[in-house]
Amino acid sequence: MKPLRIALAQLAPRLGLLDDNLARHRELLAAARIGGANLVVFPELGLTGYQLQDLAAEVAIPADDPRLAGLARDAGDMSAIVSFVEEAADHRLFISAALLEDGAVRFVHRKLFLPTYGLFDERRFFAAGDRLRTVESRLGVRLGIAVCEDFWHLAVPETLALDGAQMLVNVSSSPGRDLAAVHEVGLGTAASWRTLMRTYAQLTTSFVVFCNRVGTDETISFWGGSEVIAPSGEALFTAPLFDEGLYFVDIELGDVRRERIGLPLLRDERPELHLRELRRILAERTDMAIDQASEAPDGPAARPPGTGPATDGPETA
Amino acid sequence: MGPGAASELGDGGDRRGRLFELPPELAIDADVARRVMVGFIRNQLRQAGFSRGLLGLSGGIDSALVAFLVAEAVGPESLLCVLMPYRTSSPESVDHARLVIDRLGCAGDLVDISPIVDGYFGRDGEAGAGGAEAHEAASLRRGNFMARTRMCVLYDRSVPWGGLVVGTGNKTEALIGYSTLFGDSACAFNPIGDLYKSQVRQVAAAMEVPEEIIRKAPSADLWPGQTDEVEAGFSYPELDRLLFWMIDKRRTDEELLAMGFPEAEIARVKRLVAVSEFKRQVPPVAKLGPRTTGVDYLYPRRRPGSARP
Repeated sequence: MKPLRIALAQLAPRLGLLDDNLARHRELLAAARIGGANLVVFPELGLTGYQLQDLAAEVAIPADDPRLAGLARDAGDMSAIVSFVEEAADHRLFISAALLEDGAVRFVHRKLFLPTYGLFDERRFFAAGDRLRTVESRLGVRLGIAVCEDFWHLAVPETLALDGAQMLVNVSSSPGRDLAAVHEVGLGTAASWRTLMRTYAQLTTSFVVFCNRVGTDETISFWGGSEVIAPSGEALFTAPLFDEGLYFVDIELGDVRRERIGLPLLRDERPELHLRELRRILAERTDMAIDQASEAPDGPAARPPGTGPATDGPETA
Repeated sequence: MGPGAASELGDGGDRRGRLFELPPELAIDADVARRVMVGFIRNQLRQAGFSRGLLGLSGGIDSALVAFLVAEAVGPESLLCVLMPYRTSSPESVDHARLVIDRLGCAGDLVDISPIVDGYFGRDGEAGAGGAEAHEAASLRRGNFMARTRMCVLYDRSVPWGGLVVGTGNKTEALIGYSTLFGDSACAFNPIGDLYKSQVRQVAAAMEVPEEIIRKAPSADLWPGQTDEVEAGFSYPELDRLLFWMIDKRRTDEELLAMGFPEAEIARVKRLVAVSEFKRQVPPVAKLGPRTTGVDYLYPRRRPGSARP
């Protein structure tokens, strides 16, 4: 089988300058085409920059904006994943990643988890997505697309894999920090991400494609280090830290089958068990809330979690 | 103040032996730090529409390191180092500053601030513009005045130079408030403000800042013989360790005590940090209108259109 060529566009977006960034995307799409790429992946908010604050509303575009369709046409027969601030019809703003194929926006993933702690303030400016779906690409591979923090929640790669993803794509604007010498490559953020991506690839026996931006927004320096990980957990490619560039990686899609035959973890997944226990856990959480409201004098400590009556769990159904 | 047992001698450059004490938990990857800071300087200047920087070069390690970083980021030809001694400043400070300028091959400029400072406080029994009361001012007031005079000179020089003032304050002094508000802390951006003094030394050694600058006792040089460590009663490696565990690693007082930090030092450093909070923040604006700057009008400093044309 002919290898699939992925181009990682590890760029430094210009903050708040949508037109400049659109032009840069077009340049890189053209370079990727010359390089023979089949799939071009751009980082989170590559079209707008990350630290937008109140600029978010000023650079927001709907998913059917003609400029996105224009980019899709520029991609030609390549597939591309681009990220932007999406304004919904009801004027909520989302951090979105779109799959562009056949001259159109084929699929949009809205970032599910918005970090609002430490140096992050996303929930102040954005709404969280509420759908997690895979999409069949014209490349003959089913994609699970996620944005940055989405990958810091186990359920995301797991759900995508169970939904049939063979390739998990994470687009990021990950700020470099925690520069202690004890970390691999001297950067705590990079060490954590590398651990996650290898683990997810191995556990889901899927390819993991990570595209992280570089450059500086205000105080934040983004560290790049984009990667492609094989379904075995082996890193096929690691881009340099902090360097802007378009990096090409060839993968064998047949590796997914080989890995899954030899290591049938997905076959042995037990989503029904997971669902049953999740229902129980949710029911117990609800019980706790009810207990707190109705039995205030005793307080929640009087009834530890797990001892309340199961309400709608399958075990009692 | 900290337990000596946990502190080891760090190496300040393999070839040149150990130059300074580096607590192991503060060790960073100097190459990564350098890479981040150089990129930060380059981007801050470019995003603001500038290609040049300038800074006050004291002869100490902090400004020497920033000079090296700016020279690497935008080239020595785009850096102006301004020496601003007062008549009581140590001659060694000027020598060390010149060493940096010679090494980098950048522009250097010397402005003697004595007439400005003396013009206010007076000299030799003669009152200056500040009157008889100011003539009797304690060294702290004079030191602050000098720091703010240097700020005035730097910002004035930034106009003909066509560059931005690059900050040279480190994290240790920012956290304990060992700086002059609107004086040495004034800048367009600061590449080393998140590095403890011990880490400044580590990066300075990696970038081959002249050894005599790394070795000498840090001093604000506001009056003869002043050194930071004598004035404040701490050693930098110990203070850095305490601040690191207290602030970066969120250890409670009890945990710090159990780690061997003396109770009195914990209390003293906590007080220094709390009492200097005002120096680290933009002054509060009374909230009156629908959108208030810094409160609910929140734009990135480098927003579109913000760059000098």
